[in-house]
Amino acid sequence: MKKAVFITYNQALTERVAYILDQLQIRGFTQWPLVNGAGTIDGEPRMGTHTWPEMNSATLTIVEEEMVPLILKYVKNLDEVNKENGIRAFVWDITGMY
Amino acid sequence: MSIYNTAVNKPISTLMVFLAIMVLGIASYIQLPVDQYPKMDPPYITVMATYPGANAADIEENVTKILEDQLNSVDDLKEMTSTSYDNLSVISLEFEWEVNLDEASNDVRDAVDKSMSKLPDDIDRPTIMRFNTSMMPILIYAVTAEESYPGIDKILDDKLITRLNRVDGVASVIVAGAPERVVYVDLDPNKLDAYNLTLEQIGNKILAENKDISSGNVKMGDMDYTLRVEGEFEESDQIKNIVLGTQNNKIIYLRDVANIRDTLKDITLEQSINRGKGGVLMVTKQTDANAVAVAKQAKQEIEKTMKELPSDIKFQIISDNSDFIIKSINNLQDSLMYALIFVVLIVFLFLGRWRATFIIALTIPISLIVAFIYLFATGESLNIISLSSLSIAIGMVVDDAIVVLENITKHIDRGSRPREAAKYGTNEVWLSVIVTTLVTVAVFFPLTLVSGMTGILFKQLGWIVCITVCTSTVTAISLTPMLCSQLMKIQEKTDSNKFSFYNFVSRMLEKLDNVYERLIRWVLVHKTVTILSMFALFFASLFLFKMVKTDFMPQNDQNYLNVYAKMQSGQRVEVTKQVALDIDSVIRNSIPEITLINLSYGSEEEASFASMMNSTGNNILNMRLRTVDLKDRKRSVFEIADQVRGILKQFPDILQYTVTTSSGGSMGGNTVDIEIMGHDFNTTTNLAHTIATQARTIPGAEDIKISRDEDKSELRVILDQNKLARHGLTTSEVGSYLRNRIYGYRNSKFKENGEEYDIIVRFDEKYRSTLSEIENIIIVDAKGQKVRLKELGEIEEFFSPPNIERKSKQRILKVSITPAAGIALGDIATAAQSMLDKLEDVPQDVSLYIGGSYEDQQESFGSLIMLLLLSLMLVYIVMAAQFESFKMPFIIMLAIPFAFTGVILALLLTNTTMSIVAALGAIMLVGIVTKNGIVLIDFINLMRERGIRLYDAIAQACRSRLRPVLMTSLTTILGMVPMALSVGEGSETWRPMGIAVIGGMIFSTIITMIIVPAVYAAMDKSGSRDKQKNLRKQFKFMSDFDAERDLPKKK
Repeated sequence: MKKAVFITYNQALTERVAYILDQLQIRGFTQWPLVNGAGTIDGEPRMGTHTWPEMNSATLTIVEEEMVPLILKYVKNLDEVNKENGIRAFVWDITGMY
Repeated sequence: MSIYNTAVNKPISTLMVFLAIMVLGIASYIQLPVDQYPKMDPPYITVMATYPGANAADIEENVTKILEDQLNSVDDLKEMTSTSYDNLSVISLEFEWEVNLDEASNDVRDAVDKSMSKLPDDIDRPTIMRFNTSMMPILIYAVTAEESYPGIDKILDDKLITRLNRVDGVASVIVAGAPERVVYVDLDPNKLDAYNLTLEQIGNKILAENKDISSGNVKMGDMDYTLRVEGEFEESDQIKNIVLGTQNNKIIYLRDVANIRDTLKDITLEQSINRGKGGVLMVTKQTDANAVAVAKQAKQEIEKTMKELPSDIKFQIISDNSDFIIKSINNLQDSLMYALIFVVLIVFLFLGRWRATFIIALTIPISLIVAFIYLFATGESLNIISLSSLSIAIGMVVDDAIVVLENITKHIDRGSRPREAAKYGTNEVWLSVIVTTLVTVAVFFPLTLVSGMTGILFKQLGWIVCITVCTSTVTAISLTPMLCSQLMKIQEKTDSNKFSFYNFVSRMLEKLDNVYERLIRWVLVHKTVTILSMFALFFASLFLFKMVKTDFMPQNDQNYLNVYAKMQSGQRVEVTKQVALDIDSVIRNSIPEITLINLSYGSEEEASFASMMNSTGNNILNMRLRTVDLKDRKRSVFEIADQVRGILKQFPDILQYTVTTSSGGSMGGNTVDIEIMGHDFNTTTNLAHTIATQARTIPGAEDIKISRDEDKSELRVILDQNKLARHGLTTSEVGSYLRNRIYGYRNSKFKENGEEYDIIVRFDEKYRSTLSEIENIIIVDAKGQKVRLKELGEIEEFFSPPNIERKSKQRILKVSITPAAGIALGDIATAAQSMLDKLEDVPQDVSLYIGGSYEDQQESFGSLIMLLLLSLMLVYIVMAAQFESFKMPFIIMLAIPFAFTGVILALLLTNTTMSIVAALGAIMLVGIVTKNGIVLIDFINLMRERGIRLYDAIAQACRSRLRPVLMTSLTTILGMVPMALSVGEGSETWRPMGIAVIGGMIFSTIITMIIVPAVYAAMDKSGSRDKQKNLRKQFKFMSDFDAERDLPKKK
């Protein structure tokens, strides 16, 4: 069964996220280079305004179920390098596709 | 809102904008004047002063030096040369190129005014003219007449010359060889002696009789009459009957002591046209006037006047520079048309679609027309340089449009609607289109910064190419997408079996692509061999370069030859005439191409314009020969010149000769001048002869000419001061006595029909043509006693130089050497220099220089090398910025040396000399050939970034870029082909450029396509593998990942 993995992160992490996908040989993805957002607990808002100047990016990739733990593992690894950047991955089911 | 979106959304506005440009351009084109070169006449001002009766040395001392001292301080003066002739001083001032001639001539006038007080009292006011005496007249007519010959001078003066002088831009109109009317009073000194009369008394008597005097008013009755005494001669016959006095109750009439002739002046400068009687009419233009416009107006005036002139007066053109210019410009315009057709055909061949070809072709006229607007706005002309620049630009302006169109077609082939395809297709490529244009501009813009004479040639080329290329870019991203959106149709999938031109071409090109890809793969395996052999080829070509002959400006075939031949100094004009007629008949018999022969020999009594244009003298023969038009003969004028030289060699009377083939314009020269600066005549003349003799041993040196003529024999009266004092006479009194008796006493004029003619009172010729007659001339001393000249001193024979040339206030003498056909100017100069170095016992106060065209050539080549370096730097800068790399520009610029190899080969194969024009072509190649490399490297880089392996990336990129590279190269090459092949008038000038560009282009295109991939492969081998390693080192958070182990196995 296919799963959708939605990764959202500070845009400063763009190259590293691309590196993860490249290493895991995940080809298909859709990316929003600039999105706004804020972390649920203590994540700093990323609004692109004078007050909150930073921005987030988001990548959505649809992968086989076996790949999900690998992705989550390395996303967590990346997050632990520096918590301030902030990266989160969310997984949900794919119920149909063309 | 971007430019291409606006253009696509508003097709009508876009169309109108371009239509407006077209209309403006065509309007400019119609009004553009025509000229041979861009305005490049060096700013010259000539000051001329006549002082009749003085010899050259007197003129130098009393006139030239004084004027020179004042003129030397004029601002922006570059060089001052002067020549002192007998009776005449001519000072030529050459100014810096940037100078405003109006201001300069005001300064010159002030300087002349200042010197007036120091000049001799009876000198005529010096004339200031805005032209260079070394420049040939723009129009030379032969004027022949039968019955009207005696009056031709007056007729021409009245009817024609005043009109011509009114034409804007005419500097002077000269009639040489036309007879003048004059009244001679030839006295018999023996009779004068017998009647106790002197020549001065008779002269003054004639003046006293030849007068009308109003004597006041007389009132008689109701009337008031004016009283007049009338004595002015109404007929020249009246002079005979002047009463000189009485002796023994007998009246003495003038006719008793003199022979009075109302006749034509004894001409000493004789002109003959095809052996008939006539004169030569010469029109010169002002330095800053347009030759073609002046000639056109002058010709119209002559046309108009011809109707009013007696029917036996005929005009024949000897030399017409404007005709040549118009014909050569028309020729070049034809070449331009052919270039356009060729380029369009190439585009059609590669695209295979009519509509696409039409869209591309439309950018050509638009870009070219903007160049016309530029020319018109800056007051420039249609000339050889501007038109050749357009010819070069033609091949380049289509490139941008092709890139845009190809990308739009790609979208349309995918099924997009033309409107969307036009917008998005342009959006994807517009930036790269602008960048490639910038590279071209980087090469051509420095051309606009060159100064001096070469600068004038290059400036126009630089601007025109920059402007047309920029226009083409703007057109490519506005008009091209707009036309695509309107004209292109959605392509339905066509049946590929159906035969169409498009399919045929595609299949052929496909085959070519395959062959090339195989070649590249072979090259990639054998990189070292390829690169080394290429460099070997380049260095081999450097050795070949030594064999290429250098030249300054290519010489043109203008249907015109000028022969100058000098015979024994002091020879009587009658002997010269006989030799001239003999030469004339030999030439007439052996050279059928000659249509007109104008002989001119002898010197004029008074120095005139005519004598400045050509050096004249009793022993000098000047010939002007006109041939039939270029298309009606097989031999070039240069071959004819060689034959004329051969004929002249057969005549032992001729000591020195030159045969020149150009007319008009200051660029004709092709000589190495050895300048000898030194004051003493004997030293410098001897040195000049030594040099001339040695120069004859230089292989290929011809027409060796010493600028100072042989010393002229001169009779000098040496007066004894003691004897003078005893008779109460002074040197100047004796001098004026002699002058009156031999040169003539001219204080009165005979008037008829408003014209004045000199009455010249002097001794009859038979009383002044032997030494003893002159010695016996009677002079009346202060006491009223008659003394003979021989009692006052002696007459001795001396030699004096006939003209004294000076440069920068120092006496100068030039030995000029013309290279024989096929011998390079540079070689002669080197040989001359080594000869000078070896020269022994050069006196200390003499200095030697090498000048002439060789000097100009050296200067120009010097600035060309600067230009080349500047261009190379700029190209490197632009490319390094574009590719974000230090080494990519090197790879691309590797093509440049091979372009030069191609130029050298092409010049050698076609036996063309390396002139300024060919060098110009070579420099342009820097810009054109790098384009190919850029296209190639850009695509290889792209493939590499997409992660394709190095060799595959190179092979694929080369394959896919073959067509665009071939297409742009072929358009440029074929654009130049008509120029390289043209044979008409003036083609000698631009043919070298065409040949150079074609040779360089073909060679460098082929080499680029092979060496660039090879060098890229050699330099980039490890580059991208290292990059990945680096990345892994930086991103430690994934260091425990192992693809083999962790990734789920594929099912």
